[in-house]
Amino acid sequence: MIDRIDNGEQIVRTICNSHCGGTCEMKVHVRDNRIVRIEPDDREGHPRMCARGHAYRQRVYAPDRLLYPLKRTGARGDGQFTRISWEEALTTVAGELKRIKTTYGNAAILHFCSMCDPHTIHHVGAFHRLLCQFGGYTAPWGFISHEGASFAAGITYGARRKWIQTEHAPEEYYNSRFIIMWGWNPVTTEMGSTIPLILALAKEKGAGIVAVDPRFTDSAATFADRWIPIRPGTDAAVLLSMGYVIIKENLQDQSFIDAHTVGFEQYRDHVMGVEDGVAKTPRWAADISGIPAETIADLAREYARNKPATLATSIAPGRSAFGEQYHRAAAALEAITGNLIFKNWQSGPSRGLSFNPQLPSPPNPVEVGMPPRDIALPFRSATVNSSARVNVSSFADAILKGKAGGYPADYKFIWLSNTNYLNQLGEVNKTAAAFKKLDFVLVTEQFMTATAGFADIVLPVCTFLERTDIVAPKAGFVFGILNKAIEPLGESRSQYQICQALADKLGIADFGDQSDEEMVKDIVARASKEVNLPDYDALRKEGIYWVKREQPEETLKQKSDGEPKPFRTPSGKIEIYSQIAAGINHPQIPSVPRYIETWESVNDPLAEKYPLQLISPHFKRRAHSQFDNLPWLRELKDQTISINSLDAGARGIQQGDMVRVFNDRGEVRIPATVTERIMPGVVALPQGAWYAPDEKGIDHGGCANVLTRNVTSPGGAFVCNTALVQIERVVEP
Amino acid sequence: MIQYGMYIDQNRCMGCFACVVACKDWHDVPAGPASWISVKTIEKGKYPDLFVAFLPTTCYHCKEPACVSACPVNAVVKRDEDGLVTVDADTCLGKTNCGLCLEACPYAAPQFGSEENAKMQKCDLCIDRWAEGKKPVCVISCPMQALDAGPLDELRTKRGDSREAEGFSYSNTLEPSIIFKPKKNPLGR
Repeated sequence: MIDRIDNGEQIVRTICNSHCGGTCEMKVHVRDNRIVRIEPDDREGHPRMCARGHAYRQRVYAPDRLLYPLKRTGARGDGQFTRISWEEALTTVAGELKRIKTTYGNAAILHFCSMCDPHTIHHVGAFHRLLCQFGGYTAPWGFISHEGASFAAGITYGARRKWIQTEHAPEEYYNSRFIIMWGWNPVTTEMGSTIPLILALAKEKGAGIVAVDPRFTDSAATFADRWIPIRPGTDAAVLLSMGYVIIKENLQDQSFIDAHTVGFEQYRDHVMGVEDGVAKTPRWAADISGIPAETIADLAREYARNKPATLATSIAPGRSAFGEQYHRAAAALEAITGNLIFKNWQSGPSRGLSFNPQLPSPPNPVEVGMPPRDIALPFRSATVNSSARVNVSSFADAILKGKAGGYPADYKFIWLSNTNYLNQLGEVNKTAAAFKKLDFVLVTEQFMTATAGFADIVLPVCTFLERTDIVAPKAGFVFGILNKAIEPLGESRSQYQICQALADKLGIADFGDQSDEEMVKDIVARASKEVNLPDYDALRKEGIYWVKREQPEETLKQKSDGEPKPFRTPSGKIEIYSQIAAGINHPQIPSVPRYIETWESVNDPLAEKYPLQLISPHFKRRAHSQFDNLPWLRELKDQTISINSLDAGARGIQQGDMVRVFNDRGEVRIPATVTERIMPGVVALPQGAWYAPDEKGIDHGGCANVLTRNVTSPGGAFVCNTALVQIERVVEP
Repeated sequence: MIQYGMYIDQNRCMGCFACVVACKDWHDVPAGPASWISVKTIEKGKYPDLFVAFLPTTCYHCKEPACVSACPVNAVVKRDEDGLVTVDADTCLGKTNCGLCLEACPYAAPQFGSEENAKMQKCDLCIDRWAEGKKPVCVISCPMQALDAGPLDELRTKRGDSREAEGFSYSNTLEPSIIFKPKKNPLGR
């Protein structure tokens, strides 16, 4: 333990570890192996915890924490379980895994581990290592959060998603004269970072800030001078028409274009209408997006003239049909205006360090020798590009159809760890049906989530406050020790301990028998060979430590002086015209960014029946589906569907009325929030609320994915913001 | 007499509720109706011309506190050493049996749990933390550095002396110990 204060409490420094992406330092007050309070770290410049972090004590001691292994007793999905011993649970799971392997082969085993409770040891690496040593498994590909952005960044810059979204360096925001928050609500999604404060400082310094968003978000309220409501799914059209204005008025940065890009001519021909006879004028985009043409033209001029300007394109609009086109169109706009700053450019996975903290893992035998899939990206590894993988959105479809549906295998077993998969992927009712078809469902969890409710065996996982881990510079130049604050509650175990125990049952001798603390010590020792780090004990006491970035800064300086290293694209430049996209040869993956009208748009014939566009934004009291059960957070804000007063009035819906939100995929019953803060024609149901179906299958929890479609965009984007619904007031009998 | 008070930059407050939950955790206030600090949302205008502001609301430790005058049993007192208004739950008659402090306070600072005849509780500006040289937990938890607390004279020197904010009305009779950087409403209504 770290500090002792005189009232008998110990203060353990650790780092919050949840599915928000933040790494906020916590000072955990512990007395007699019990957490009594959690204090924020108040060091200058360090991020502060959000409401969720402050509520973590309630998560640890929640009355519904799973503390013992459980076995299903009713039908799968009925949610009936009984307590069993670890011995019985592990023996059952190992027996099923061996049976599946022998009968169907390892590809029949699906496993997914999301970024919830991430970091290094108790994460995907442990599960991957175990399953590879067991002979392999079917892994997912695609990022639920940002695959559209990753695909666009991959073909435009030859890199992962950096820059194509909102992960600009804080100083970029701070130094901007003009910032466009495109679908971006950092008040909710960047809690636990310093970005909201930086935005406030930029605004106080005089930066103009505009919010382009279907909602007047809390961020629009806090930072923006102006709100431009936009119809969901039409972002690429508006961005292209901004390109039209910029080129028409000769506002582009030609020297930047000449030095760093390829494909400006093709892009120009597309937006000016030379290529297809349709000029992408603001008038053209106005009809599509609902934004007045003059507003679009003004926005384009402001963005091109007020340099440096930052186009902060959230990954949320990218979670739409053809979301990758939105990100490509944004990247093109940044490139033609020269509004790209090479600062903090990362060319390698660890920003200049070769050190890799991840557990060593053998290749996945299921993927060895398999060809790459059709839209494989060159900068990704062969294994990630393998056609043996199933898109993360497509598990349900793959389970239901298997080989007959064109998937590489028939799937019999699923292991879901660190994820509430059923709740968080499109079309919950389809996923539920798929899970019922499997031979076996294994879930490792802290709570009886919707997903855990479909398990045959649930293994209880402890929280990050009950184990040791490390934040290593995979995710930045920061090292931090997640110090264990208390012993695991009940019989819960860490993710790594569960893998160790299963390895034992499966007869895998070389999985590893170190404790997490020993492994963290090893990682620190290995890292110290490359980076000047405090020793383990000092690092542990410090909690978090920023690596001095002399070496990478040098590289960055070269780049910012206008001599960037070649981009890892085929041409070595920013590809506004993408050779990779051209090579894929798919009409909906064009070589220059295009607006492609989504399915379930307002022009879809389906809109007669279901006229409202549903979006499913993040919610400030949850990190996705995490924290939804904590009373301190639940009382802050109700789960409701937001609807404009015009749409509500037309339906006789008043504030707080219970409404049914439905389409052919399902129905949710939830109270309505009647508001001016959303565009007419659009309704918003925050994602992550726990699916709670009644006997008729109607969800009363407010789970948005009951209504979203289970489908992947051609470029891989996850699609949770493209769905038509209808809303009616519930009339009590 | 030194008077402690608070400063709120309403432009900075983004309604994230970090202060609300940090306060509940630090003071061990269970979920329920009692919250020593809360954040009000003020929404004005019609689509698409809107104005939205947030306002953290708590006890403002008034110079002439209405709750102190209203309390029939002197359970609520104003401390000489720092001007903070505190309550002695053992003396308090309870919400059902009395509740006069709540009626008297225009800022709804007195808080009551859901239990029967709940005793009054409220913000004490983290007296326990000042004793250790630390600022209140709401102040240090704020990711926007929108809050500050300390001797009111010092705050005024550093932060100015605006007593107005969107959604707030200053009482000249009670003299709440609060200063603001108010958020301007461009809609003018």
